[in-house]
Amino acid sequence: MPNSTPEIFQAKDYKSELKPIWCPGCGDFGVVQAIYRALASVGRSPHEIAFVSGIGCSSRIPGYTTAYGFNTVHGRALPIAQGIKLANPDLLVLAAGGDGDGFSIGGGHVAHAIRRNIDLTYIVMDNQIYGLTKGQLSPTSPRGLVSASSVFGSLEDPVNPLSYVLGYGARFVAQGTPADMAGLATLIEEGIRFPGFAFINVQSPCITYGQPDAQLKAHKSMMQSLSALGHNSADRLRAFELAQSYGETLYTGVFYRDEHPGPTYDQAVRERQQTLSARAVPRDRILDAFIPR
Amino acid sequence: MTTNDLLIGMAGAGGDGVMSAGDALITAAALGGYHGVMAKSFGPQIRGGESSFRLRVAIAEVFTVGGTLDVAIALNWDDFLRFGAELPVGAETIVIYDSQYPVGPEGVPLPGARPESTIAVPIAQIARDITGTDKAKNNVVLGLMAGWFGFVPDGLLAGIRKKLGKKGADVLEKNERAFAAGREYAAANPLAPARPLEKAPAPSAPKLLTDGNEMCGAAAIFAGCTFFSGYPITPSSEIMHYLGREIWKYGGTILQAEDEIAGIGAVVGASFAGKKALTATSGPGMSLKTEMLGLATIAELPLVCVNVQRGGPSTGIPTKSEQSDLFQAVFSAHGDVVRPVLAATTVADIFAMTVEAFNIAEEYQTPVILLSDGDLGQRKEIVDPIDTASFRIIERRRANARELERYQRFAITESGISPIADPGTRGGNYLASGIEHNEQGAPTASGATHARMNEKRIRKLNPLKMRRDLFDVYGDPSAAIGMVAWGSVAGIAREALRDAQKKGIRAKLLVPRLLYPVAQQVFEDFFASVRAGFVVEQSHLGQLYRLIRMYVDVPRGVESFARSGSNPFTPAELSERLRDLAVAVQRAGRPELEPATD
Repeated sequence: MPNSTPEIFQAKDYKSELKPIWCPGCGDFGVVQAIYRALASVGRSPHEIAFVSGIGCSSRIPGYTTAYGFNTVHGRALPIAQGIKLANPDLLVLAAGGDGDGFSIGGGHVAHAIRRNIDLTYIVMDNQIYGLTKGQLSPTSPRGLVSASSVFGSLEDPVNPLSYVLGYGARFVAQGTPADMAGLATLIEEGIRFPGFAFINVQSPCITYGQPDAQLKAHKSMMQSLSALGHNSADRLRAFELAQSYGETLYTGVFYRDEHPGPTYDQAVRERQQTLSARAVPRDRILDAFIPR
Repeated sequence: MTTNDLLIGMAGAGGDGVMSAGDALITAAALGGYHGVMAKSFGPQIRGGESSFRLRVAIAEVFTVGGTLDVAIALNWDDFLRFGAELPVGAETIVIYDSQYPVGPEGVPLPGARPESTIAVPIAQIARDITGTDKAKNNVVLGLMAGWFGFVPDGLLAGIRKKLGKKGADVLEKNERAFAAGREYAAANPLAPARPLEKAPAPSAPKLLTDGNEMCGAAAIFAGCTFFSGYPITPSSEIMHYLGREIWKYGGTILQAEDEIAGIGAVVGASFAGKKALTATSGPGMSLKTEMLGLATIAELPLVCVNVQRGGPSTGIPTKSEQSDLFQAVFSAHGDVVRPVLAATTVADIFAMTVEAFNIAEEYQTPVILLSDGDLGQRKEIVDPIDTASFRIIERRRANARELERYQRFAITESGISPIADPGTRGGNYLASGIEHNEQGAPTASGATHARMNEKRIRKLNPLKMRRDLFDVYGDPSAAIGMVAWGSVAGIAREALRDAQKKGIRAKLLVPRLLYPVAQQVFEDFFASVRAGFVVEQSHLGQLYRLIRMYVDVPRGVESFARSGSNPFTPAELSERLRDLAVAVQRAGRPELEPATD
């Protein structure tokens, strides 16, 4: 519940004392900075935030914030995040992880989080590689990629996270890069403010196992702002079209935002609870319903 | 002559109203103050097809519907015979069948049944004469039961009125007449071998009637559960169905998850958020939930996971009960894990054990597995009134203001239990994780910290091993013959012990409701006087027997008596075995086979 006397927060209020284990130059440093900024703009106290992740380099991220963090198991951030939000809808719930977490081992959960539309923000740090396990193929690795697990080159096409979530009906879909820190912070803030499930794909390069020509420096020259291109984020079909260039063109900004997002699942749950609470018998009389009459 | 214990089996085609007849009978029995258990069985069709029930009604407490039927009712022979061994008849069985499906010249289509106890009744004809259709056949049968067996006529009539009252005066009137016609037929055609039911003493408070799965759901709400998430699976889904109707009223919610993993995942999340949370499944689902159970163990989050066991491995036999998931419940974890495993023995006990599961989960901040089984989950049972006021409800130990000043979520305390903070609590912000962590919650790879944390997480559960209240001993405490049984088989063993005691055999029975951690002392105390006996369970491996032997010096004469599900034990065979052991002990005449004297 927002405080009655609004507190003012700064980015540093969300930064924990833990030192990241990430390699120097990792894109995730920028992502966590952007998250600090976004949270400060939103202005919720750290104790009112639950930040859930899976497993992987990027999934260490909740520990680097002062929120209530939960570094869970591989691929399962979303089910846990949804349970948290439904159990306490007053919390601001963030989920985060890597592309392996979100589109490989946990890929099945994404579709259901989208269709349920529970109000939470899901940030994927997409680096097209498995870093923590030392350089194997990830679900977003380009075809032909030579990696520790594909020494003769990958034989698979990558998952396209953007068209994946658009295809399942995601109501807020954005992409950013830490190369544009201010832009990324704004996208995350918009995602948090969006009433419903918000998806943000962050191109967060791996300095150790990633491709040398796709690091942050390259992002700065490659990235193309969707708003500068005049993209209308209410246009879902155009968003699909633009999303097809995933892996070729680095678009940043909001691909799609539902202008009439409707009620979220958690709101509907509250309404149903309120409607049905009148029918409750006292808990200690719950067995009376089993008395045959 | 009358009887105080009546076992009825009935079968018919889809649409014959067999199930509603069974429901009507057990409801009337509950109103009449009897004890009773009813198991239903269906053909493999998704919809329609043959169906049957076995119903046992008695003055004393009963726990099983096993054994030869006292009364068999066949609305047609094909469907009745399809249930084969599930509806066994013998020389004492009264077989009532619809005369529109005549039997052959030998008179009896069932091996073992006697012609003089095999009675043709124009059941469909009576129904047609009154209502114009076959539909009231089941109510004719109820009339026969009321007439021949004194089966609570008022209760049956009240049931018909309640069920059909909404369908209009005409329908109700016709069915009441069908019921009356059945009674009249019985009155006009006395049935010599029929032994009517003795009247049951009026209960002090109304009895309850429900199945194990609904009881589990109700107990969860009573315990303060406000979150359920799971995935449909036989034979546990009714827990989700019940909570899907009821939990909202208590500020709770259910989430039908996309898979078993997400089901328990959402429960882990809800528990992290501070709510009491439940998931329920059966064997294949348990296999999938394993990783999340480990997460809840290391993150020290309370949750309850109910496994309504069925035949395994893999898909196994979804519709048959088994007790073969004990090893899985105890051992399916990587790393050094102790997580409490409870087992309920009756539908009534599911209430107590579900509440206990939540209490243990909350007190010790751990996942708890509650083992039920297909028999318990699905059977209807008449339950004696439960005094809910006698149950204590435990809440997790939350951090107080002083502890929040320098909060350590995983503080190593004397009890091993650390104060927990729910998100939303100022000052309680911490990192929960599946990765090993120090007392603050910061990830660590320190071997020393890992060892201390393992020790703490396991030490905190030690008090459970002293919970003698989670063990029941029946019979003569100093007997030399001892039996151990758990879950639904415990009821069969209790009846067997009762039989044996009637025959003058000194024996005793231990029923553990806490299966893990193994309460070594409780078992050793029980076995102290035991020279011969067995651990009876519905699994091929004899999993409890082997689990106990890991921790307890089981006497040499105590063996495993175990077999796979779908071939249930009967009280008769267990009491036989007790008698054989008693005879062997006596014949041997060896001092070590004499009952202990202390």
